[in-house]
Amino acid sequence: MGRIVVCIKGVPKPGTVKVDEETHTLRRESAELILNPPDRPALEVALRLKDQANFEVIAISMGPPNMVPLLQKVYALGVDDIYLISDRAFAGSDTLATSRILARALSLLSPFDLVVMGARSIDGETGQVPPETASLLNLPSITYVKEIRFVDGKFIAIREDDFGEEEVEFPSPAVVSIVPEIDYVRPPSLKRLLSLKEITPKILTNAELNLDEASIGLSGSPTQVVDVFEKTFVSRGEIFEGEPDELAEKLIEVLKEKGFLA
Amino acid sequence: MAECIFAFGQCFEGKLHPASLEILTPLREVADRLNKRLILIGLADDKEKFLAIPELKKLLADEVWYIIHPNLKHLPDDLCERVFVYLASEHKPFGIFFPATKKGLSVAPRVAASLQAGLCAHVNAFEVKNGNLFLLRPTYGENIIAKLTSQTLPIMATIALNAFPIKEAEKEPLIKELKLPEGFDWSTKLTIKNFKPAKKEPSRLSVAKIVVGGGMGLKSKENFQMLFELAKILNAEVGGTRPAVHAGWVEAERMIGVSGVSVRPKLYLAFGISGAIQHTVGMEGSEFIVSINIDKEAPMMKMAHIGFVCDAPSFLKALLRKLKAED
Amino acid sequence: MLIEFPLKEEHKIMIELIKEIGETYIKPYSLEWDEKEAYNATPIKALAQADLFGLIIPKEYGGLGFGTFEMCLAVEWLSYFCAGVSTTYAASFLGAYPIILFGSKEQKERYLPSIAKGEKLCAFALTEPQAGSDAFAIKTTAKKDGDFYILNGIKQWITNGGIADIYTVIALTDPAKGARGASAFIVEKGDPGFMVGKKEKKLGLRASVTTDLIFNDCQIPKDRLIAREGMGFMVALKTLDYARCGAGAQALGIAQAALEVSLKHAKTRVQFGQPVYQFQAVSHTFAEMAMRLSSARALVYSVCQYIDSGAKDFSGASAMAKCFATDQAMWITERAIQMMGGYGYMRDYPVQKFFRDAKCLQIYEGTNEIQRNIIARELAKWIKV
Repeated sequence: MGRIVVCIKGVPKPGTVKVDEETHTLRRESAELILNPPDRPALEVALRLKDQANFEVIAISMGPPNMVPLLQKVYALGVDDIYLISDRAFAGSDTLATSRILARALSLLSPFDLVVMGARSIDGETGQVPPETASLLNLPSITYVKEIRFVDGKFIAIREDDFGEEEVEFPSPAVVSIVPEIDYVRPPSLKRLLSLKEITPKILTNAELNLDEASIGLSGSPTQVVDVFEKTFVSRGEIFEGEPDELAEKLIEVLKEKGFLA
Repeated sequence: MAECIFAFGQCFEGKLHPASLEILTPLREVADRLNKRLILIGLADDKEKFLAIPELKKLLADEVWYIIHPNLKHLPDDLCERVFVYLASEHKPFGIFFPATKKGLSVAPRVAASLQAGLCAHVNAFEVKNGNLFLLRPTYGENIIAKLTSQTLPIMATIALNAFPIKEAEKEPLIKELKLPEGFDWSTKLTIKNFKPAKKEPSRLSVAKIVVGGGMGLKSKENFQMLFELAKILNAEVGGTRPAVHAGWVEAERMIGVSGVSVRPKLYLAFGISGAIQHTVGMEGSEFIVSINIDKEAPMMKMAHIGFVCDAPSFLKALLRKLKAED
Repeated sequence: MLIEFPLKEEHKIMIELIKEIGETYIKPYSLEWDEKEAYNATPIKALAQADLFGLIIPKEYGGLGFGTFEMCLAVEWLSYFCAGVSTTYAASFLGAYPIILFGSKEQKERYLPSIAKGEKLCAFALTEPQAGSDAFAIKTTAKKDGDFYILNGIKQWITNGGIADIYTVIALTDPAKGARGASAFIVEKGDPGFMVGKKEKKLGLRASVTTDLIFNDCQIPKDRLIAREGMGFMVALKTLDYARCGAGAQALGIAQAALEVSLKHAKTRVQFGQPVYQFQAVSHTFAEMAMRLSSARALVYSVCQYIDSGAKDFSGASAMAKCFATDQAMWITERAIQMMGGYGYMRDYPVQKFFRDAKCLQIYEGTNEIQRNIIARELAKWIKV
């Protein structure tokens, strides 16, 4: 039986994000977390391979302790095991530091055939972690995948490219990132939902991963945010009257303020 | 050392992706301010086709280095990574930049991981201050602009699509072929079994981040057409109300509302739209709504975050005039 | 709405799941399916993967072993999103009940696991062109022939015709014996001589499939007989007793949706300078809707609890639940259209669909006239003179 590891992320529910004023990173502990929507297709792809060829599917997530309910919900979708990778030392990691952490966690879970991730997260929106993690593990990465076929023991990815659609055959193990658009994702199972209280994720801290503190967290992140500008919102219903020219000027001013115009 | 800046020239079948040209615009300025040479790195499988690329002689780089090998035909990520890692170790560039195309977003992270370098994504503005380079990007749901630096060299980033215009150079760049050493590993673990070129793109209205909508308040088809000009400037999609569609001012695929398209853009500009329920059910989820209407009491004016009491065609003309003047 | 039933944790979890399924797989498409009269397998697939087809299947066959109460909660909430989809779902339970209630151990082992997984849908076939309310007038025959039965006849207006794999069919094994002359059989898709007729065009429940079933020397192995020869009408009537509450639950879901949509409209639609809800003609109508819906809901669920408590004789109770709730749904949806005025009449808006969907509920699974016959008959047993 082969093994697929799906890396998922909890992201702040849009509109509830708070940025730490000192470090300019997200205060993840205080946010209301939802499953990163692009991870849902990634889970679905892994579960379809489980249905088809009996792969074991493990879901792992790097995040704070308030990720546990989300991991339980992922268990309800049908995965075989859930892991939380959590340690104060991981907080503030940029994509390189995150990839180091995930790469180490994945090596602890090897051997595996496939690592599946969503193409990007809706908070950072970099899409960098899958290829970075793959490179650190010296594995091929196949991005923007719409579908994974498993035929005669071989993996074929149908992926979107800038100039068209590719059918790529690749060896395992490999890291695959899945596009957010998919025809169908399954709902959770009622049987699993009813027994959720008894399910807890296995926890991996830096004690198990044993990473050098200089390579993780804020200190391990070469990219640093030095400043943030928050967009302010005008309250509804502000009405302006005047000549077309001055009103148009006002609109341009508002649009620039909000970043819709350069 | 660190005297050059690399930009990825993404080629396919004798075509250079326009995004590779776009990124040269801000990089030209950065290179000038920091006194570096800007070099476009082109990877391709066919030398003749590459040299025949029309934009080659007018692009903003100081030099174009091209590397040819049959395995580069589909620019497999692992091979591209190896090439850039080799170039980085040989030339120690100050920065390596990729367009935020799918290819760029797939290769840049692999290169960054190999070089243990920081990588910023979707940068849409640069700032040079005291010899330091700052990278700006919208983040966390695009309500926040972040200003980043990288503590490692080379500085790496993927540059947002459509963030910069393509500009042409006065001077032709120096174009030369780079031959990699004898033992270079040209292998790739990826095998392309089939490739289907992209068809015409479907309507992007329902996923557009900015929508400009027009209603009967625009008074005529000619006036309505001005919305397309505005859309081009704002990088937006155009939608219309039911009556506007039935008046033949815009095609049915662009109808927003009940039995039409539903939109949830970050910005919705409503020109001459009264705000009948048939229309508003299709756009009430918009994050920021601006309404331009001669009637102060129109439902859309109450629904909007900002309303301008004005005759829509006049406002639109004034707006276009001012936006074009700024360019 | 004005009353909240206390619900167990497991019920809340189930309802949340169904709401999620409704929002994701049904709500964005229900008007389109209605307009196109199209059956879409996606919500059925989702319900199957969510384990919901196993709701009332006993645990030993892979189901959840829940009762009528839970079945009605599920059907009510699904109907809130689309009664066409809930009809496909509920009708499958209707088709499965003969096996659950009367099947042999071997039959249960053979069929119930795949029904519980939602891999196979069921359909129940009793009605014929000349036998609607008068169910005893059926003419389809099942003649014993060695190790087989040969079925001949036509069943009319069968929900899930063509999309079901398992059909529980009532046919006459001995026409001379009248009410004791029918037997219940399991017919499978693909059995020789079994064909599905054309899909019917309906006023409502258009996302659900209704067809004729044609048995033309249809040959089935003799182990497809459920219980014993002669038990056919008993199987049918007991099945309908159990399933009736489901129709009542459908009515609740449709009525709830109609009430919510029209109420929201009445609060926002401004005429003569104020929301129309401010006019007593309108607000009193909503008060009436709320009372009727709440009383229907109370009746349906108290009957469910009665059935689940092990009641032996509940035909009258389930008939009351079905008849009352479905009549109220018709009243509520008609008023909902009226309260929305023109917006209620246009097919771009959902309220007209609720009205058309609700109508069928007064007709199928025993017309409300037949339900009143049953109630009256059962009522009469209470007073001895």
